[in-house]
Amino acid sequence: MSLNETGAKQTTWWKKKDVKQTALIWVIVTPIIGYVATEVQVRSMGAPASEIMASTINLMRIFTWAAAPVAGLVFAMSATVLLSKSFYGDTPPPEAEIGYRNSPRANALWVAVSALLCLFALVVGMVAVQKDSASLTDATAMEIKVTGQQWVWSYDYTGGSGVRSDVLYLPVNKPVVFHVTSVDVKHSFWIVQMGIKIDANPGYITETAVTPNKIGVFDVRCAELCGLLHAYMQNKVHVVSQADYDAWIKAQSKLEAATA
Amino acid sequence: MTTTLNRPSASAHSAPKRALIERLNIFTALALGVISAVVVWRLALQFLPQDSEEAIFFNREDKITLLSMIAWFIGFMVGIGALIGPFRWVMGKDLSHDENMFYAGKDLGVKRYFRYTTDHKVVGIQYLVVTVVIFFIGGVLAMLIRTNLGNPEGGWIHPQAYNAIVGTHGIVMIVATIIMVTGPFGNFIMPIMIGARDMAFPRLNALSLWLIVAAAAPILWGLAIGGISTGWTAYNPLASQAPLGQNGYIMFICIFAISTMVAGANITTTVIRMRAKGMTWNRTPIFIYGVVASVALALPAFPVFFLSQIMSAMDRAIGTSFYDAQHGGSGWLYENLFWLMGHPEVYVILIPAVAALMEMAPVFTRNPLFSFNLAVIGIAGISGLSALVWAHHMYMSGWAPLLNIPFMLTTELISIPTGMLFLVLIGTLWRGRLWVTMPMASVFALLWNFMIGGVTGIYLSDIPADAFLHGSMYVTAHFHYTLMGAGLTGAIAALVFWFPKMTGRIFDAKLSWISFWMVQIGFQIAFIGMFLVGLAGQPRRVEGYAETFNTGNMVTTGGAYLIMAGMLVLLYALIHSWMNGEKASMNPWHSKTLEWTVANPIPLENFDVLPTVTTDAYGYGKEIR
Repeated sequence: MSLNETGAKQTTWWKKKDVKQTALIWVIVTPIIGYVATEVQVRSMGAPASEIMASTINLMRIFTWAAAPVAGLVFAMSATVLLSKSFYGDTPPPEAEIGYRNSPRANALWVAVSALLCLFALVVGMVAVQKDSASLTDATAMEIKVTGQQWVWSYDYTGGSGVRSDVLYLPVNKPVVFHVTSVDVKHSFWIVQMGIKIDANPGYITETAVTPNKIGVFDVRCAELCGLLHAYMQNKVHVVSQADYDAWIKAQSKLEAATA
Repeated sequence: MTTTLNRPSASAHSAPKRALIERLNIFTALALGVISAVVVWRLALQFLPQDSEEAIFFNREDKITLLSMIAWFIGFMVGIGALIGPFRWVMGKDLSHDENMFYAGKDLGVKRYFRYTTDHKVVGIQYLVVTVVIFFIGGVLAMLIRTNLGNPEGGWIHPQAYNAIVGTHGIVMIVATIIMVTGPFGNFIMPIMIGARDMAFPRLNALSLWLIVAAAAPILWGLAIGGISTGWTAYNPLASQAPLGQNGYIMFICIFAISTMVAGANITTTVIRMRAKGMTWNRTPIFIYGVVASVALALPAFPVFFLSQIMSAMDRAIGTSFYDAQHGGSGWLYENLFWLMGHPEVYVILIPAVAALMEMAPVFTRNPLFSFNLAVIGIAGISGLSALVWAHHMYMSGWAPLLNIPFMLTTELISIPTGMLFLVLIGTLWRGRLWVTMPMASVFALLWNFMIGGVTGIYLSDIPADAFLHGSMYVTAHFHYTLMGAGLTGAIAALVFWFPKMTGRIFDAKLSWISFWMVQIGFQIAFIGMFLVGLAGQPRRVEGYAETFNTGNMVTTGGAYLIMAGMLVLLYALIHSWMNGEKASMNPWHSKTLEWTVANPIPLENFDVLPTVTTDAYGYGKEIR
C-alpha cells in the first residue's frame, strides 16, 4: 500500500486497504471472542442454585460481550500489522514514510468509548448490588448464625429451633440471612453455587443473604487462607423441601435434647 | 574471606587510614552480619525473661528471632560499608574526589560488583543479578506449588510446608517484579537516557541495592523456621499465630520498604533535576515517565506497608493488639494498611514494564510513538487513581459495605487510562515497518496478556461478580496475567533490548525467541487452566482440592512446566550471551534515545560533554503533525 502524502485529498481513511482489512477481521473475530469467552467461562461456573448466582452468570455474559469488541479491535489491528510486510535481519527497516504522531479524532473516540463502557459496567454493577443487598433486609427471611473456626464451619439456627449443626440444611425458595463470624482467624464463607461470599471476621458479625432456588447438595468452601488445613475447610449445604427441612430440624432438636 | 586488595594504581595515592574501610565487600558484610546475628541471638537467649503464663503465643522466641534479624541487618550494612559516607561526614572528613572515584568503582575491575559501589551502572548490573536470583528462587517455589497441585491423588508436601512455600513464592515474586524494571534499567539506563553522569544521590543508590540483599536473608532464614504460612498478604490475626518464620516476612518487608523509599526519592530527584539541557518534559522519553510514576507511587505506598509490619511485629513479639479484635484492635485495620500499599504496588510493577515496551515499539516499527501526550496522561491517570482503589480487595471483608460502590467506581475508572496505554501501543504499531525481533513480539504478547488481565480485572471489580470470584483461583490467574503476562514480558523484552548497552554484547536472538514462545504458550495453558478451575469454584492457596478440579490443575501444572523450561532457556541465554555473545555496536537497534550515543563499554561518567537535546526521541518518518 502506498500513500500519496502530498495529495490534497487523500483516500478517505475508511477506504484504505489496511483499514478495510482490520474492519473485516474485527467483524469476524468479535463474535468469536464474545462467544468463546462467554461460553467457556459460563460453562465452567456450572448451574446456578440461586437467583444471585444466575444474575452473576448473566453479568459475566454481559461484561464479556461488552469487552469483546474492544478486544476484537486490538486483535484485528495487531493482526493487520502482523500481516503487513515484515523485516528481518540486523539492520532496521526504512523508517515509516509518514510518522503519525497523533490523531485527535482517534484519541477522542477511544477515550469516549472507553468512558461509556466504564459507565455501562458501573451502572450494571450498581443495579445488581442494589438487588442483592435488598435481600439482606427481607423481614420474612430465616436467620442462621455461621461460625468459622480452624477448620470447620458450624451453623446456629436462631429462628426459634435453637439447633446447632456442622452441616447446613436450607429449605428451598426461602430467603435466608447469614450472620457470619469467626472465633479465631479470618475465614471467608462461600456457598459456591449460590454465588455468595462474606468474610468471617473474629470479633465482628458480617451479613450476607440468599434464596436457594434449587433442591440439591452444594459446596461451602473457605475462601480466605486460614492456616494449616484451609484447603479442607469445606462441607456441603443441603437444599431440601420445606417438609424435609422441618423433619430435619425436628430430628436435630431431639438429638440435641438426647445428648444434652 | 577478606583478602588484601591488590590495587597498585589506587593505593599509591590513598592514605593508609583508608585501608580498612576499602577492604569492605560482600564477604565482610556476610561475615559481620552472621557474627552479629549469632552474638545477639546468644545474648537474647541468655538475658530475655521467660514468657509469663498468660502469653498465648511464643513471644520470647519472636523477640529473640527479631532481635537476631535486626542484628544481622545492621551487621551486614556496616560490613558492606554503607556507613562510611555518613561516618566520615560526622567526623568532619568528608570524602575527597579521589575517594569518591574509588567508591564509584574506578579501576576496580570485577571487584566493584561485590562492593558498595556508587556508580549507577554497577548498581544496575547488581540489581539485574539480584533480580534474576530472586526470580530463580520464586520460580523454584512456584514449581513446587504446581508439582504438588498437579497430583490429584493428594500433595506430597506437608500442608505446613506447602503454605510456607505459597507465602514465600508470593512475596518473593512481588519483590522481584517490583524491582525488575526500575532496578536494573531504572538504574543503569535511566540516567544515561536523560543525559546525566550518575544518579542524584549515588550513595543512596548503592544503599537501596544492598538493603535488598540484606533483606533477602530473613526470608530464607524464615523458610528454615516455619516459613511464611500466611500468603503474601500476611493477614492478621493469622499472621500473629503463624510460626516464627513470619518474623522473616516482617523484617524483610521493613528493610525492603526502606530500600524502595530510598530508591524512589533518588530516582525522582534524578529525573526532576538532572535531565540534559533541552530535555523538556515533552522531550523526555516515555520510559522515564514510567519509571518515575512507578517509584513516585511507591513513595507514599511503602511507608504504610512498613508501619503495618511494625505493628504486626509488636502484636507478635510484645503482645500489643493493633489487629486483635478481642482486645480493641481490628483485622480490618491491617487489611486497609496492607492494601493502601498493595494496590498502588501492582501499578508500581506494571507501569514501568509497559513504558519500557512503549519505548521499544517505536524503535521496532520505525514509527513515532503514537500520541505521547495520551501516554503521559494514561500513566498519570493510572498512578493517581491507583491510590483510591485499595478497598476493592475488601469488598467481601464486611468492612464498610457502603463504601463498596465508590470503590467500584474508582476501580472501573482505571480502565480509561489503561485503555489509553493500549491506544498508544496499537497506534504506534499501526502502519509501522515491523522489524521482527523478540522485543517487538513482546509488544504483541503484552497486548494479548494485558487485554485478558484487564478484562478479567473488570469482572473482579464488579461487586456481585466478585462475590463469586473473590478468593478463588480466578484472582490468582488474573494477577498473573497482569504482573507476569504483561509485567514480566515487558521486563524480559527490556533485558533483551538494553542488554547490548549494559554488557556490550548482543543477547542471543535465537534462544530469546525459543524462550519467548515456550514461556508465552506455557503461560496461556497454565493460566487459562487456572481461570477455569477458579470459575468452577477452586479457592486459591489450597493444598488439596475436590475431584472436579483434577483436569484443570493438571493442565495448569503442564503449562507451568513449559514456562519453567522456557525460563531456563532464557537463563542459559542470559549467561551464555553475557560470557561470549557477539560484541555489540554502539547502537545496534538504531534507536534515537541518548543511552545509545555513549560508547561501549560506557565510560565511568557516561558523557565527556553533557548532551544537549533539541527534539524528542521519536522522530521516525516524515512528520506530518
